[in-house]
Amino acid sequence: MITRNNRGSYFSRFFILGSVFILFFIADLLLGSIIIPAGQVVSSLFSSAGAGETFHIIIMDFRLPKALTAVLTGAALSLSGLQMQTVFRNPLAGPYVLGISAGASLGVALFVMGFSTILSTAFISTSGSWSMALVAWAGSFLVLMLVLYVSVRVKDIMTILILGILFTSAVTAIVSILQYFSNESLLKAFIIWTMGSLGSVTWSQLAVLIPAVIAGIFLAFIKIKDLNAFLLGENYARSLGVSVISSRMIIFLSTSLLAGTITAFCGPIGFIGIAVPHICRVLFKTADHLVLVPAVLLTGGIVMLFSDIVSQLPGYQATLPVNSVTALIGIPIIIWMIVKNKKFVSVQ
Amino acid sequence: MRQENFFDIELFDLSVGYKQQRGVPVEVLNRLNFSAAHGEMVALIGSNGTGKSTLLRTIAGFQPWLAGDVRVGGKSIRSMGIKEMAQIISFVSTENIRVPNMTVFDLVAYGRFPYTNWMGSLTEDDRAVINSAIGMVGIKKLAHRSVLHISDGERQRAMIARALAQDTPVIILDEPTAYLDVSNKYEIFHLLQVMAADRNKTIILSTHDLNIAFREVDKLWMITENFSSQGAPEDAALKGWLDQLFQNEHIGFDTVEGGFFFKKKFRAKVKVIGDGVSMMWTLKALNRKGYQIVIEAEPDFTVHVKDNLWEYSSGLDNKKFENIYQLISFLDKQFGYNL
Repeated sequence: MITRNNRGSYFSRFFILGSVFILFFIADLLLGSIIIPAGQVVSSLFSSAGAGETFHIIIMDFRLPKALTAVLTGAALSLSGLQMQTVFRNPLAGPYVLGISAGASLGVALFVMGFSTILSTAFISTSGSWSMALVAWAGSFLVLMLVLYVSVRVKDIMTILILGILFTSAVTAIVSILQYFSNESLLKAFIIWTMGSLGSVTWSQLAVLIPAVIAGIFLAFIKIKDLNAFLLGENYARSLGVSVISSRMIIFLSTSLLAGTITAFCGPIGFIGIAVPHICRVLFKTADHLVLVPAVLLTGGIVMLFSDIVSQLPGYQATLPVNSVTALIGIPIIIWMIVKNKKFVSVQ
Repeated sequence: MRQENFFDIELFDLSVGYKQQRGVPVEVLNRLNFSAAHGEMVALIGSNGTGKSTLLRTIAGFQPWLAGDVRVGGKSIRSMGIKEMAQIISFVSTENIRVPNMTVFDLVAYGRFPYTNWMGSLTEDDRAVINSAIGMVGIKKLAHRSVLHISDGERQRAMIARALAQDTPVIILDEPTAYLDVSNKYEIFHLLQVMAADRNKTIILSTHDLNIAFREVDKLWMITENFSSQGAPEDAALKGWLDQLFQNEHIGFDTVEGGFFFKKKFRAKVKVIGDGVSMMWTLKALNRKGYQIVIEAEPDFTVHVKDNLWEYSSGLDNKKFENIYQLISFLDKQFGYNL
């Protein structure tokens, strides 16, 4: 297990991260296409309907759900990335590169466009957030099981990553076919979804998002010790008394819940899942998941809040697709990591 | 260490191998009847591909076997829970652990895993066990060094310390001395020998370092393609088992010297005259270079060993040398390099 002899320095780092987190959360509420004065933000948050009716609506119905979504997205994707990196013992693993987000996309695409031939458009738009989440969970879990099936037989890191790319390509191909046959309004809805958006999440969707992400985080927390054991590989984990199969199943369930839910509501958002765990390993200099799990939750939230602020282009009317911003933030970190440790050729 | 229970290991008609998804199971080894008592260090030997790792993985409970039984402390490991086994058997594999941000202490601390709470918090007691394990393998100075920045020998010691910290009566090690230099090999063997003898642990390891194993272990488990047998290393030597270990006619076991040698064709016959240590080393050198030492038969040449002087004579030819190297170099020219 892990030392934890520098408890004090961990606390101070968490304190700093926590402060940054609060700062970014407030900034995300303040900044947007119109700048709202801080006083108005506070009064909007704590009164039912104040003098500035418009400000109240913007804060309560747009910016607050968006900021919450950003926090949940960052936290959930980063945690699922951390879990994948540990279980696959692969520093490049993450929900996006392994095709797990693609699996969720497939579920959503089948649901939005595929069933439109069977079900009425009205049914799909009214059937609610839960069905959307369910199909995304099913899709991501399916891909995870495929990845697991392959990784038991193939130990080479690159092969697994290439397979992730192949899964993603296959999903893209299926989605293209669906797009070809679907009507214009559904197609548009789907295309906008793929661009990734934090802003489209409503309170009623948050009612699904929040409990699902909390459940995923809870599962990760109860498996913290097993996650540490997986760092040594399956054999050592087993010889230390971990029931590898059931433990891995729970971790995958958590990953699917986290990555699937986020993908269902915000679209595929890449690279946060790979990059944030590495930022945390550098910040905390530890391999202990008791430290890393809360660290990635906080840091993921911060990075996503930051991405959201950037994508809003404060003061301008236009917004950038948030997954472009996360890619531009995440990819340099991943490249730096590859250059830094030149040799991670295999899982062993 | 506080472990007080002693566990013997017994393999009854054990067949190990893999169950294929289709068709017949692949039997790697069959009908093994081996045993190891507590306080014994056992070396599993056999050439590459005979199934040593598979057997060790089976005893450690990583994979099911095909027939027979594995009993530890008189109880079949099939009936043991995974958590129970973690407190009875610890395993050291050949896998290279390279986790960033993990110190040697952290790695050894994994040994306490079966005893800690859900967060894996270490008690003072746990820390004492970990530190004593680190001390025992002699890597105290490295405790807070990253596992990425230690040598192979040091990492192997750390892995053994992890097994010691797990405080199990049985330790299984898959080639613990591979990739180590000679002095590290000897020290690891010695360390394990002490663990077995002083702490009554049952230690099973596989190895290719036969010459060291032969001098250090209490018992050999030998597997070859045709037969398997167990016994003291000396029994194995006496009964000529070791000669059969390799399916290779060029390698033999010297039952007198107690070591393996490469069988060479003799270049020439030599008679050596002299005594003492100089004589002994001269014989070794000539033996190494493939000259047959004769006593009664007619030699091709004669070497007289005197104090720091070697005299070669063959017929009328006569030469003197100051050291063995010069003598051997001269002989190489005389009798050619071809074996």
